[in-house]
Amino acid sequence: MTDTEALRLDGVRKVHGTGDNQVIALAEVSLSLAAGTFTAVMGPSGSGKSTLLQCAAGLERPTAGRVFVAGRELAGSETELTRFRREHVGFVFQQFNLLPALTVLQNVTLPVRLAGKRVDARRVAEVLDQVGLGDRLTHRPQELSGGQQQRVAIARALVTSPSVIFADEPTGALDIRSARAVLKLFQQSVRVYGQTLVLVTHDPIAAAHADSVLFLADGRIVGHLVAPTAEAVAERLTHLGEDLAGKGV
Amino acid sequence: MFVLALSSLRHRTAAFTAGFLALFLGAALVMTFGSLVDTALGPGVDPVSEEVLAIMGGVVGGWSLLLVVFAVASTTTLGVHQRAREIALLKSAGATPGQLTWMILAEVLVLALVAVVPAVPLGMLAGRTLLGLLQDSGQVGAGIHHAFGPVALGQGIGVTLCSAVGAALITARRAVRTRVTESLLNAAAPRARLTRRRVAFGLLFFAGAVNQAVLTVTVGRGTGFQAQQYAGSADILFAIGLACFAPAIVRRLPLPGFGVVGAVTRQNLRSRSAPLAAALTPIVLFIGVGVGTLYMQSLDNRASAGRPVGADQHIIETLNYVVTGMIALFLCIMLINTLVASTAERTREFAQYRLAGATSGQVLSMVALESLAITVAGTVLGTVASLVTILPFAYARTGTWTPDLDPGTYLAAVGFTAVLTFATALLTARRSLSVPTTAAVTV
Repeated sequence: MTDTEALRLDGVRKVHGTGDNQVIALAEVSLSLAAGTFTAVMGPSGSGKSTLLQCAAGLERPTAGRVFVAGRELAGSETELTRFRREHVGFVFQQFNLLPALTVLQNVTLPVRLAGKRVDARRVAEVLDQVGLGDRLTHRPQELSGGQQQRVAIARALVTSPSVIFADEPTGALDIRSARAVLKLFQQSVRVYGQTLVLVTHDPIAAAHADSVLFLADGRIVGHLVAPTAEAVAERLTHLGEDLAGKGV
Repeated sequence: MFVLALSSLRHRTAAFTAGFLALFLGAALVMTFGSLVDTALGPGVDPVSEEVLAIMGGVVGGWSLLLVVFAVASTTTLGVHQRAREIALLKSAGATPGQLTWMILAEVLVLALVAVVPAVPLGMLAGRTLLGLLQDSGQVGAGIHHAFGPVALGQGIGVTLCSAVGAALITARRAVRTRVTESLLNAAAPRARLTRRRVAFGLLFFAGAVNQAVLTVTVGRGTGFQAQQYAGSADILFAIGLACFAPAIVRRLPLPGFGVVGAVTRQNLRSRSAPLAAALTPIVLFIGVGVGTLYMQSLDNRASAGRPVGADQHIIETLNYVVTGMIALFLCIMLINTLVASTAERTREFAQYRLAGATSGQVLSMVALESLAITVAGTVLGTVASLVTILPFAYARTGTWTPDLDPGTYLAAVGFTAVLTFATALLTARRSLSVPTTAAVTV
């Protein structure tokens, strides 16, 4: 393990259900992502990409295997995990998950304040400027467009400068233009600010914004593409679909 | 729409259990007192017993009726509020206001009918027990048989149905008329508004309370225990008046300190005022009516100590205790009801806090702070309401505005309310927190 490794999964396995109703969501996944990289995880529905993200982010406990974020193993009680997550992990979801009762500024600073830390006004202003919402601080989420809400969520993820940000279909609920703005923002945060980002998506255009793409099928990593283009990603995905169809899945 | 209404009933267990309990217990309470009137109207009842039964069933029954109307209306309103998002989505899918009103109404009707049926045996049983108590204490002739007839049934079914349907119609009218975008916006954070209707009703109840208080110190002065007929209802009216203003009160509750959890709670008091106001209401009524009635009776007992106690006075005393007990029980269930329903709705919100980095402990602290705010507010308001009965009665009965009261009853009532509020809210929140975060935010 090197100092620049942001995320490592060692033989992570996740089985849902018990007895006859067992579903293997992740068969056995090992991977290592360096700090400052932008990785997309792709695969057909049910391939286990969301489960992978949840296990890697410490939201779900793997059935077997170990997960390391910034060199530290994710383990311990739910409260310990929460404390670790709010320092080292950021989230962006398809459904924004902003608190409707709080303003934009309150939503963005919530993780810092929940951690009992002083809010660094400069850092917050910098992040909000970066996402282009410096003038919307007192608005409530429901007064913003979907694209703006997602940018608030991104600002909330960026503000703690986490070791990894996990984004689960972040452009799924957005129109093309807002989606592109969000993806550019991700790229910028990686290239300019050295953020580490894991993006789960089913959209080849979104995946093409990443430095590399991991392909997942049946709970296993089945392919890797560096410097992807949307066409190359789409082609891989189609083959993946054919392979699966050939196996009768 | 009717099928949709039924499937909605199945999917929103917590809120509908709350609605069901309010209707069921409310109907049973009204039926209990109604059956005493039925009994009084029956054949072979001597005039004294008839009067006792009529007072108990008519006067006291009348007051409990008012409470039931209020409780049922508030639970129904909360239920409709909580479905704001679903209503907004249906609207955006093309449901007309007429269809939505019918859907909401159909749910309430089904719920009311289902609740009223099992209320009949409970009302019968409670009515018979109450009659037995009155007979044991010799206030009603021993040979009188309990009757459960048209008054019990008519009032019980009529009152619960009318108040539920009325409240549903009023709330539904507002819910279905707002524009889709606006209602999606409201759906995100349910805010209670101080409507003109609420203000009008509130002022009306205040006027009624003041009227009763003035009657107590003027007409009631020197009439001994009979001043209770005026003083007894002043706290109920005043408490209901205060409850009408609950949304505005909740939004302005001061809550100093407590760091980030305190800051978030202050936001919640402002933006989640609808469910919090609904929880404040039973606390105000419980403290107001319970404390007011019990101290009124204790003042009366003290004033008549050493003097012969008349039959009527004895009846009134029993009656005060019975009524306080029943109303207290009803309000406790209302409180638990409202808290469980409004906390269970927050599974997703709690999960969002946890994803933003809140520990379960921080979420529970937030719920505890909200409970603290409404308990303190409810206690202060309830105390004011109880004084509207206690002070005028003290003056009318003992000649002083500053009676010397034993604080035990008061402390017990406040302590009980606090324990009930905290325990219910925290236990429900803990259950909501046990849902995995990822499952809770994707629902």
